[in-house]
Amino acid sequence: MWKKEDSKPQGVAETPSSVAPALQSHRDTPGFSPASSQPPTSSRATACISQGIKIKGEITGSEDLFIDGPVEGKLNLGSSSVTVGPNGTVKADITAREVVVRGRVEGKIAGKERVQLWNTGQVSGEISTQRLAIEDGAVLRGKVETGRPVDKSEDRAVSAGKPNGASVPAATTI
Amino acid sequence: MTLLNKFGIGPASGGRGVTQPGKPGGHEAVGSKTQSHGHGGNMPAAVGTTRAPAVGVESTRVSNGLKELMWNLDGLGRGTLLDMGGAWQATLSFFIEKGFRVTTDDLLRTWKQFLENEEKEYRERSKSDQSLDLSPAVRANRFFESNIQYPMSSFDVVLLWDLLDYLDPAMATRTVAAITDLLRPGGIVFTMFHSKKPEGFQRYRVADAGTLQVISANVICPAQRVYQNREIQDLFGRYRTAKSFIARDQLRENLFIK
Repeated sequence: MWKKEDSKPQGVAETPSSVAPALQSHRDTPGFSPASSQPPTSSRATACISQGIKIKGEITGSEDLFIDGPVEGKLNLGSSSVTVGPNGTVKADITAREVVVRGRVEGKIAGKERVQLWNTGQVSGEISTQRLAIEDGAVLRGKVETGRPVDKSEDRAVSAGKPNGASVPAATTI
Repeated sequence: MTLLNKFGIGPASGGRGVTQPGKPGGHEAVGSKTQSHGHGGNMPAAVGTTRAPAVGVESTRVSNGLKELMWNLDGLGRGTLLDMGGAWQATLSFFIEKGFRVTTDDLLRTWKQFLENEEKEYRERSKSDQSLDLSPAVRANRFFESNIQYPMSSFDVVLLWDLLDYLDPAMATRTVAAITDLLRPGGIVFTMFHSKKPEGFQRYRVADAGTLQVISANVICPAQRVYQNREIQDLFGRYRTAKSFIARDQLRENLFIK
């Protein structure tokens, strides 16, 4: 009763409205409130760079970070989450476990687990991640590298069964 | 008239709209049987209004061009693909699942941004009596000097969608030249042309190997012209093979193989 927040899955509040089904499923979780008035940060976020602060240089750490202002340089938060808020403008390479983009990012994004682009997100640069979720309206200029290995034998088997290329893989998060 | 208004991109020209919302396109491959399946889509009918459906409404259309593209790509392995129609989860997922390394670059959005910057530059230069060559061909060259910069022969596939209809002729010609350079020998361009000037603006994303989802969107650039078949062939004159598919929704799909 007192800890309703505890029942909420990690990162639920960060899920865009029309991202891939895998992420969309979080929205069906009891307790999820899309119209929540809470700030758009990860529930674990403890560090915040707000609009009034400008940072140039390298940021490293092991806590989740919310950026809603200008940052230039390099961000390395290997096992944590980085959220670029709607007012955030990041000109830096970002390395983190999870990266959520609601503002602008110029640079490479390496999200070890996943990268989410919200509809207000704009990324100019390369994205490499295990899973990528892009909400309609997001802007991405650059190469996408996903960590999911391609099962060539399976691919060949499917193609062999349908030589006209009509094979359709199940829709999944990238 | 500002530079942007000249291209119909200024504030007064904005608009929303959808072309042929109720007619998702079945296709007729030229010289082949008529496709009778794939109609309908999931677009809700507008009720109590004759206005174009809201932005974001979707429909589906059969795409024989896409089918042919996938057939041509079968066995390519880990190819490289450039999608110039913006980033869509469905399209990215589809091609990545097929083993492609995908790059996205929203050509129209970048072009619009470029024109906005050009207008600013023009105003600043006019204050200091400096000139800026605004002739279409020079401007198109200037655009490609600072945008869409990838190594030559680095892609196996370029998805151009219907973007050429929304570019002025000089820019369209320069775009085709640029993507020709980006393609490897044997590389394929997938493009579409409207048979009549589209009223609104649509985006396309891949639903499956033979179906496209059509999403109405805010107009980024209004349609500039309608290309005749001969003009399309001239645009892609450097390509060794061309295949065309005519759809019932006023769209011609084309595959050009370098």
